Order: sequence, then structure tokens, then C-alpha cells
Amino acid sequence: MQAKLSNRNRVLSWLLVALAFGLLLSLQLNSSPISPATTSPAGHSRAEEAIRRLEDEQMALKERIGQLRQALADYQQRTASTTELLEEIDTQLNYHRAIAGLVAAQGPGLEITLDDSRQQKIPAGDDPSDYIVHEYDLRDVINLLWLAGAEGIAINEERVVGATSIYCVGSTVMVNDTRLSPPYIVRGIGNPDTLESFVRNPSYLIEVKEKVQHKGLIFQFHRSPSVELPAYQGSFALKYARPGQ
Amino acid sequence: MNRHVSQLTLTIVTFLLGILMMAQFHTHRLASKARASGSSADQSIILGSLIEANTNLRAEIDSLESQLSEYQSQGSGGLLETLVDELNRIKIVNGLIEVSGPGIELDISGPLNALNLQDLVNELRNAGAEAIALNGERLVFWSAIAADDEGWLIVDGVRTASPYKFQVIGDTETLEAALLRSGGLIAVLEHSYDTLQVNINHSAKLVLPVYRHPPEFQYALFKK
Repeated sequence: MQAKLSNRNRVLSWLLVALAFGLLLSLQLNSSPISPATTSPAGHSRAEEAIRRLEDEQMALKERIGQLRQALADYQQRTASTTELLEEIDTQLNYHRAIAGLVAAQGPGLEITLDDSRQQKIPAGDDPSDYIVHEYDLRDVINLLWLAGAEGIAINEERVVGATSIYCVGSTVMVNDTRLSPPYIVRGIGNPDTLESFVRNPSYLIEVKEKVQHKGLIFQFHRSPSVELPAYQGSFALKYARPGQ
Repeated sequence: MNRHVSQLTLTIVTFLLGILMMAQFHTHRLASKARASGSSADQSIILGSLIEANTNLRAEIDSLESQLSEYQSQGSGGLLETLVDELNRIKIVNGLIEVSGPGIELDISGPLNALNLQDLVNELRNAGAEAIALNGERLVFWSAIAADDEGWLIVDGVRTASPYKFQVIGDTETLEAALLRSGGLIAVLEHSYDTLQVNINHSAKLVLPVYRHPPEFQYALFKK
């Protein structure tokens, strides 16, 4: 009974061992071509290392490209808004330069001539200074032209601007710190009819008109279809004024 | 004896089985490794494409960097700043922006006429006034001062009357000296009007409002 059993066991063991052996052998034979004999293990790892290095490099390069694209996009956006802003500022600058008298102008208007009296003999007791054109006469004329809606004024070749003061040194009239000599030609751009009606109005330029009547001061005006005003050539020195509060 | 032989055989066979198992395990490992990086032919293809890709990436970086340095060298920010400064300067001259700075406050009361006020404004400009306000209204160079039939003074179409308060931004010493010099305008006016009262104060900071009537051009054409 025992021998019978041991005999059967032995057969079974051999069978199992043989089966496992055969299975493994066939697996090993099957899988062996996967490991090619042509590549040495060392060459294999060198190539892998190169691939890994290149992949690392690629990642770094891509990261750099990402940064550069971002920086460029930022610049482009800023430049786009800057360009828009520049155009806006350019438009405003043109407008304000025109107002300020920094641009030569042309248009219909009025031309006024003021000159000293041609009277040769000044009656005794008369003040000779009543026979010449004074800086305040010019100021009155210019104030009147502004009142009549003038869009720009010049005296001789000097544009009247924000920095303009009209004063005299002795009997010499100074405009924009430039000496002027008579005759004084005051030119204003605006509605010629309106400008002329203001100049004719007896309520205005009372002193000038009196001197015209009694001292022979020369005061003439005529409408012009095209008055030319030069651009202001001087400076606007601002040392104290700041924009805003 | 028979039993010994069969035991020995079994041991040898088991030993061989063990070696075979080891071999199979090793092969399996090599196989999975080889699958990860491919064959040497595959690897050279991968290497080639990586090298080409990285070359292209470097060229892209060069191009981006040169674009960027172009933007940086343009420095449009500086130009913008300069233009804004220039615009503000001209706006101050034109009275079309609020303005602040040191200056004087001239309070003057009396029966002044339009010519007197014109002369005062001119005197202030002559003394370097950079911005002027009269009774709270900014004056500009095209401001017109006139009298109406009822004896009011009209400044830019708005009625005003004594007392007059001039606020003037500029050099305080120069402005005051110009007004108060002997034979100067205030002296002349005081001579003309007994009741004239004049008071001048220095101010470290005046804030003058914006001029309220920006001009419109209907007749003037401006050259470019």
C-alpha cells in the first residue's frame, strides 16, 4: 500500500517537474531574441543618457521660449497702448499748439494799421507823447480783437501768445521782448464783419479815436480774405507752475 | 539504491529548473528595459529628432530675443513721458489745465476801469506771471476785459466787480517788485484813485482753476 502510493507520487512529481521544465525552456527560447546580440549593454545606456540629456535640454529651451513669448506679449501690449496714447497725445498737442500760437495760421480777418501822427508842428502846451502810438493803445486794440472773437492775433511779425506782454522802453514798443517800430500792423483772424463792427463801435478804443481826431494819429483798418499770422518763435518759460494740484 | 538515484535526479532537475527560472526572470527584465528605450535603431531616430527639435527651439529663442531687444531699445516709454510733459506745459500756457505753484495774491479794490485791469494783467505777465486768475476765474492770453453799459466789468463774458483778487503763479519777489516799484502801476493807480486799497500776500502754493471756455476755430487754418 505504501509502496504503491510512493510509486504513484514519484510519477506525479516527475510529471510536474518535466512540465515546468518544458514550459520554462520554451519561454526562455521564445524570449531570447528580444535581447539582441548586436547591442552591448554599455552602448545602450550611452544612447539613453544622450536622449535624456537632450530631453532635459528641450524642456529648458521650451521653458525659455515660454518666458520670452510672455515678455514679448507684455511689450506688445504696452506698445499697442503706448501707440494709441501717442496718437491721442499727438492730436492734443496739435490742438494746444494751435491755440498757443505755436503754429502759423491763415484765415479771413481784419488788418489794422496804427502809426504816429504825421503832424509836423505840435501846438504849444500839447504833450508830444499824445502824438505817438503807445503800448497801451496796442493793448487796447488787441483786447478789443479778442473781445470780438479773434482766433489769433499778431503785431507786425510777433504773434500774440500767453507769454506776450506789450510794454515800452522809452518810446520803443516791445512785444515778445522784441523791439517793434511804427507803423504797427495788427492782424487778427476771425469773422471780418464782427471784427470790423467792434473796431468801429464808438464805445471802444475811445482814447485812440480821440487822438486820431485831435492829434492826427493814424488808425486805419480793412477787412482781408486772407490774413497770415506767423508762429510764435519765443519760449514759454515755466519755472513755478505745475500741472494739477 | 533506486530511491537514491531518483532523489538525485530530482535534485538536479529542480536545480536546472531554478536556473531556468532565473534566466527567464533576467530575460524578462532586459526585455522591459529594451521596450522603454527601443532598439538602437529607434534610439538613433529619437536622438536625431531631439537634436533637430532642439536646434529649431534654439533658433526660435534667437528670434524672440532679437525681437525683445528691439522693443527694449525703442524705449517708447521715454518718448511718451516727454510728450506728456510738453503737452502739460502748453496746456498751462493755454489755461486749459488746473495749475499750482508759488506766487502772490493781489487784492485790489477801487473804481478801476477795463484799461486799468488790462494794464494790471499786462504788468503781471511782464513780471513773469505763469498763470493768473481773477476773482476765481483763470485768465488766458485771449481773455478780453471790457466794460458794459451799466458800468460792470466783463471778463470773458462774465460780470465782475471790485474788490478784485488776482492770484498769480510766478516768482513772488519779481511779481511784487514789479507792482510796487516807485512809478509802477500800483503807484500810478493810487495816484488816480484816492480810495484804492491794495494788499499783496505771498503764497507758497496757489491752485488756479482751469479756464472754462476752450476756444473753437471757425476761421483760422493752421499750417502743419
